[in-house]
Amino acid sequence: MEDVLDEVVSSEDLQKFERIFHEQLHQGKVTHKAQFEYAWCLVRSKYPTDIRKGILLLKELFNSHPDGKRDYLFYLAIGNARIKEYNKALHYVKAFLEIEPANQQVLALERQINKRMEKEGLIGMAVAGGAVLAIGGIVGLGIALASRK
Amino acid sequence: MSRCDFKIVLLGSEHVGKTSLVLRFVNCRFNADIPYQNTVGAAFCAKTMQSNGKDFNVGIWDTAGSERYEAMTKIYYRGAHAAIICYEPSSIESWNRLRHWLLELRTVEENCKVYLCGTKKDLLDGGNVNREVPEDIVKTYSLEQNGHFLTSSKTGENVAWPAGGSGDPNAARVERGPASGIRCSQHVFFQAFRGKNKEYCLC
Ligand SMILES: Nc1nc2c(ncn2[C@@H]2O[C@H](COP(=O)(O)OP(=O)(O)OP(=O)(O)O)[C@@H](O)[C@H]2O)c(=O)[nH]1
Ligand SMILES: [Mg+2]
Repeated sequence: MEDVLDEVVSSEDLQKFERIFHEQLHQGKVTHKAQFEYAWCLVRSKYPTDIRKGILLLKELFNSHPDGKRDYLFYLAIGNARIKEYNKALHYVKAFLEIEPANQQVLALERQINKRMEKEGLIGMAVAGGAVLAIGGIVGLGIALASRK
Repeated sequence: MSRCDFKIVLLGSEHVGKTSLVLRFVNCRFNADIPYQNTVGAAFCAKTMQSNGKDFNVGIWDTAGSERYEAMTKIYYRGAHAAIICYEPSSIESWNRLRHWLLELRTVEENCKVYLCGTKKDLLDGGNVNREVPEDIVKTYSLEQNGHFLTSSKTGENVAWPAGGSGDPNAARVERGPASGIRCSQHVFFQAFRGKNKEYCLC
């Protein structure tokens, strides 16, 4: 079913907001609004390169325009979740919840991100990764012992 | 959109109570302790409904009313089967904006059914606020649309079924008898479902 992490921007919309952004860029003055709208389209693109570009624009806004903080945090979380940078996404979710602990929209997003991580076996994998490290440690120890002779 | 049989979009000015309406309908809850938090862009909610033993999925896009998001929220009007445009009867300003929302909607989705919804009925009934939007104006204007509702997300009036209902309004009516049963014709979401297809008529 359609949801905020699956929903994809149409190419007309992306082009429309891209044009506005570039026009302003050309004139030497990009408004927060134009940059936000363009970034918002980019993070909803199906191409990871677009999404990464959107994330950069949002980070820039986050640092230069404190009034829009919650907007930027929200879409930074969405962008990162869409390129499967789940830990970064959750980091932005947490930052948002520090400002508004009971925000339903963000709590729902957090649940969705956790669900995806579970579905993609990422939570299980972290555990398995730890086990690999442990085995590596033992093998390393074995090699160290063997080379003592 | 594959598994979404019916798309509803909510429109209306900031703070009129769109998100509360959706949360009341989907979760049967209203939390007065949580301070107002304006929606970021648009929020999505899904609910599975039953109509005569058949399941169907409703997808609800709850758009943000703040002007800051206007260019963005329009995108969610696309493909909507029904739109619920909200206003507060105690705010003439929110009513004046209604025409604007309707025009915006029509430029994107010409054929979608439109339901008007006056929110926060409990405040009106309790005398906490004064009605600023004359009822006859609402009536006249609603004639051109598919319906008008007065709802309270706080009490659940015209948004949710009676407490303890199973979620299937047909069952609810049988269980509770017609007197205490909900009246479909006044229920904002039920009417919206009827918009698309008789198959989803829950009455
Ligand atoms: N008493 C009462 N208060 C309500 C009702 N519905 C909403 N409210 C309150 O009105 C405020 C705004 O409600 P929201 O649902 O967040 O408004 P919104 O239309 O989603 O606002 P935006 O997301 O900014 O567009 C909140 O403080 C709610 O608690 C109602 O039926 N009765
Ligand atoms: Mg809202």
